[in-house]
Order: sequence, then structure tokens, then C-alpha cells
Amino acid sequence: MKRLALISVPYLWLLALFLVPFLIVLKISLSDTALSIPPYTPTLDLSEGWAGVKEWWAGLDMENFWWLTSDDLYWKAYLSSLKIAIISTILTLLVGYPIAYGMSRAPDEWRPTLMMLIILPFWTSFLIRVYSWKAILSNEGLLNQLLMNLGIIQEPLIILNTNVAVYIGIVYTYLPFMVLPIYSALERLDESLLEAAEDLGCSRFTAFWLVTFPLSKQGIIAGSFLVFIPAMGEFVIPALLGGSKTLMIGKVLWEEFFSNRDWPVASAVAVILLLLLIIPIVLFQRNEEKQREAEK
Amino acid sequence: MSDAATAPVSVFAPWEDPQAKPLIQFQNVTKRWGDFTAIDDLSIDIYTKEFFALLGPSGCGKTTMMRMLAGFETPTEGKILIDGQDVAAIPPNKRAVNMMFQSYALFPHLSVAENIAFGLKRDKLPKDQIAARVEEMLTLVQLNKFANRKPHQISGGQRQRVALARSLAKAPKLLLLDEPLGALDKKLRQDTQFELMDIQEKTGTTFVIVTHDQEEAMTVASRIAVMDHGQIIQVDTPSKIYEEPKSVYVADFIGDVNLIKGKVSHYDDGHAAISWAEGQPELKGISPLSLTLGSEATLAVRPEKLSIYTSRPKDQTNVIKGKVLDIAYLGNMSTYVIETPTGEHIKAQIANTRRIQRRQITWEDKVWLSFTETAGVVLDR
Repeated sequence: MKRLALISVPYLWLLALFLVPFLIVLKISLSDTALSIPPYTPTLDLSEGWAGVKEWWAGLDMENFWWLTSDDLYWKAYLSSLKIAIISTILTLLVGYPIAYGMSRAPDEWRPTLMMLIILPFWTSFLIRVYSWKAILSNEGLLNQLLMNLGIIQEPLIILNTNVAVYIGIVYTYLPFMVLPIYSALERLDESLLEAAEDLGCSRFTAFWLVTFPLSKQGIIAGSFLVFIPAMGEFVIPALLGGSKTLMIGKVLWEEFFSNRDWPVASAVAVILLLLLIIPIVLFQRNEEKQREAEK
Repeated sequence: MSDAATAPVSVFAPWEDPQAKPLIQFQNVTKRWGDFTAIDDLSIDIYTKEFFALLGPSGCGKTTMMRMLAGFETPTEGKILIDGQDVAAIPPNKRAVNMMFQSYALFPHLSVAENIAFGLKRDKLPKDQIAARVEEMLTLVQLNKFANRKPHQISGGQRQRVALARSLAKAPKLLLLDEPLGALDKKLRQDTQFELMDIQEKTGTTFVIVTHDQEEAMTVASRIAVMDHGQIIQVDTPSKIYEEPKSVYVADFIGDVNLIKGKVSHYDDGHAAISWAEGQPELKGISPLSLTLGSEATLAVRPEKLSIYTSRPKDQTNVIKGKVLDIAYLGNMSTYVIETPTGEHIKAQIANTRRIQRRQITWEDKVWLSFTETAGVVLDR
């Protein structure tokens, strides 16, 4: 009985904070928009009893999902988000891996300090940090001033309000989420494995490629998910740094909710986004489990 | 390891042959880290097909020597030659030397077979040749059934054999073993020692083993180098190290020993005697050193070389009188601690060939100990 109570805590947590909100969003996505509060119909009226439930059920339909397919804005936004999320995940990996590697090879007494430096940016508001990139990247910004003063460029680079600025913003913001899991994987790596690889005829580089890299795979996967998932639905960074041409599903979602006040369509967009994220993760985990089982 | 009595022709002792060319030569090698001297002006020759043991307490420099042979460290001074070639400039991946790591260092993401094939693949051998060699190695260590398992799916003893097979796969000229049996329990360790000797003989590879376990060194090695503070104290065959130690340090480090202090009262060509206590007859032994009369010396004698008598033995040399202080029953033998009238404690070991009920000697008994003139060794200080 005690055990059951203990196990039920995380499940209740998931139920209350994930499943229930999801069901509410799913329900709204099946409703129709209306000029009322809340701005959709039907609403469940339990005072009318069984007939009310029946009426409510009959009012639900898939209309909004069909709507998403009819306007190419939506699938273009999904694709564009996917592209931006994938590219920025790869960029974050390329920047984060060397940092994590350097940290794991640093002398023991340095590691807590380095770890602190990675976490330090979290002490300032995310919004302020992204906003300050505007001052760095704008035409008269710090970066352009520096480059022009050094004589490297004559004309200012146009970075702000382009996808490049969005990539910079995402890589900057999510870097710690990539660095920390990779670091924890690399830190556990037994140094003698690399010596063994060298002893058996590897150069330093092949030893890295054949031993270090595969053994940090778990960290790379975890870090990539931690960057990819929030980047996919990112709203603040493209809103602040991206231009009018930067199309991301997070922005579309925001517009539907707040500009159009079309909650049902916005909910449908959110449900599809969730499915797009969950399906590959579930498939991936199932594949991992199968592999582990095959090894037993 | 051949027995001198049965096959005198094939005694394996290249170190006694002035014509023999050593495989490994340390020439005045010194290794320092800052102020710390790990290896101190050390010279030693190791010959092909030897099973050479570096024995000593932790921090004596034995692991540093091995890592210099593998190429992970370079000497601060002096030269290391392998096959007559100075290896200072050769990186670890270009040396015909392989190492079996103390932690085994098996690649956790690769199967047993892939671990063994790892070194062969680096040599870009054809696939069928690699497969054949892996199969051969698996057979050598009897792990064919486990070829597709991952290292975490096999036992500690099996992992040790995979590590051995992996380091032997490239048929190195020299195999280095760093405390290879340290992680195994005692029974398995003993079995594996014989297996190691077997494999060494079968493959004809030169083995250099690092260990702090003197029993292990005695069992497997053709020669042992006893090390302390970055220096080699003595290099000899296991039996010489045990029977004829050249210093108190070596005598004390290997096995159990009685150390009796005294002054040299007689010395001539390999034989010596010490006077050790007022009113007691002098004790005679052999001595590999040149001693000066009257200088301080120590007689080292192994407990099992002593006999115990209940009455004063006649026609025996080296007789010591005393009383039984303690008896430790060890099953196959018993250790008696005898106190001499001058208060020294001397251990004697007697094999229990009879059943314990029939033991004649008990606590507080007056007894006489004796040992032959060649049983003890007289050493400096």
C-alpha cells in the first residue's frame, strides 16, 4: 500500500500537469470559435445532465485540423521551424562539444569554476539576455562597430532580423543544455581507454573518433533533445531577433491566440506540434530499448 | 621454467650468456617529475622470451618503468632500447609493444570480438585475416562462446582474459602486464597465473609484469627485479631471490624471514658467522657479500628452514635455546614463535605431516632450534 502511494505521486503529477492540460487543449482544438467568454463553443453544461453531454459531444469536430491543411502557411511554418531547430541543434552541438570536452579534460580544481561559468548566464533573465543581442547585432551595434573600426568590413553586416540572428540567439540560449549532458558523459570516461586505443595503434584523433565520441553518444543525444524540443516551438527568440521572413510555428501560434483570438485553431496548431515532437522521441526510445534488449 | 635437474641442456637463462642480445635495455634511465624522482639512474637488460617481473611496494617506480616501455612516458635522462633501437621518439601507437591495463580498459561499446579486433583493424589487415586472428585469440583464452557479448555482460575473470587476448592479438614483441590479476579473487588468481605462464610459453612473447604481490611474481616470473625508491635492489631468479637475497630489504620483502642482528665474527669466501648474543654460540651461514670482521650484520633465515627439538640436539650447528611463546596452526603447517633467553622472537615453521593431536610441543615448553650452515644468509646490517 505504501509502495503504491509512493509510485502514485509522480503519476499524479503527470496526470495533473500534463495529461489534464493536454486534454483541455485537445478539446478546444475540436471546438468552434465564438464571440463569447471563453471564445469557443460548445462548452460542457452539466446542469442539463446526459442530454448536455450528448450535445457537447456532437459539437466537437476535426474542422480546425482540416483548416490547417488548407492554408499552406501552417505546414510552411512547421517545416521552417523544423529546419531552424535542426540547424541550430547541429550548431549548438558543434559549439558545445568542444566546450564540454575541454571542461572534462581540465584539471580537477578548475572544473567547479568552469561549471559555474556555464550556469552563470541563467542568473539573468532570459528575456534580457536575448534582448541584449539586439544591441550587439543591429546595424549600428557593437559587432558591426568593432568590425568596421578594425577595418575588416566597410559596410555594416545585416544580421539582426534575419535567420542568422535567430540561430545565434538559439545557440547562445540553449548552449548549457548541450554542454552539461555531454560533459557528464565525457567526465565518466576512463582515461586508460584512450591509452589502450593508442597502445593498439590509434593516433590521438582516431582514438577520439573510435572511443571518446561513441562513448559520449548518450550525452549528445540527451543534449540534442534538450535543444531541439524547445527550439522547435521557440517564440521569444524569433520574435525579438528574427525578421518578418522568419517563419516559426511558435510565432504562428502566438498570432492565432492573441491577434486572431482563434483559440480552437491555435490549439490545433499546438496539438500537431506536440505530436510532431512526441512521435520521433517515442520511436527513438523504442529503438534504444530494442537494442538494449538484444544485448542481454 | 624448465627444471634444471631433468633437462640441464635447455635451461632458460639468457642473462647468464654473455653472447645473448637483450630485447630491452634500460641505460642509466632517470625519470623526474619536478622534485620527485620516480626512476633513479636505472639500468637493466631484459631478454627475449623472458617472463620478467617488476616487484615492489606502490610508489617504487615499477609502473613508471612499464609506462616508459609502452611510450606513455619518456625518460628525463638515459636511453631505453628495444631490439637495439632507441625508442624515445617512437609514439605508443607505433611501438611493437602492447599493454594489458590494470583496469583492463576494455571498450564498453564494443563486443568481445570487436575489442580483440580493434588493434588488428588499425593495421588495415584484410577482413578474413582479422576474423581468423580473432578466432585464434578467442580459442587461446577459451572465450569463443562469448564473442558477441559486451564487456559488462561477462565476469571479471573473463574480462581479464579478453584484455589479455586483445593485447596479444597484434603479436607484439613485448607484452606489458600492469597488475594483471589484481582485480581477481585469490582462487581465480592462482588459476590464472598458471594460464598466463601457459600462454606466455605457447606464444613465445616476452612478458614484463608489474606487481606488488610477491607470491604472484614468484609463481610466474623467470626473473624478478625487486624495486624500491626508483632503484632496482636485486635482479634474480625467484629461487635465488628467496634463498640468496643480497640485502635485508629483499629478504624481508619476499616471504617470511627471521632477521637476527649481530657482529661478523668469521668470514671467508662465501661463508660467514655472526656472534649475536652474550653466551650464545655463533651462528653460521653463507654470504654473497664481502664482509669485514666485527662489522654489524644480519643473519636472515626462513622459518621453514628451522627444526625444533625437545632436547638439545647433538652434532648440529646453529643451535638456539628458547621457550615456546606462541603456536599458530595454519592447517598444512604450524608456526612456532620461540623466545630466546635474550628476548628475541624467532619463528619456525613445521609441516603438519601428522595429525595435530599428536603434537609433542606446546606452550611454555623448553625447546632447541637449529638450522644448517647453508640455510641462513649473512647480510650487511
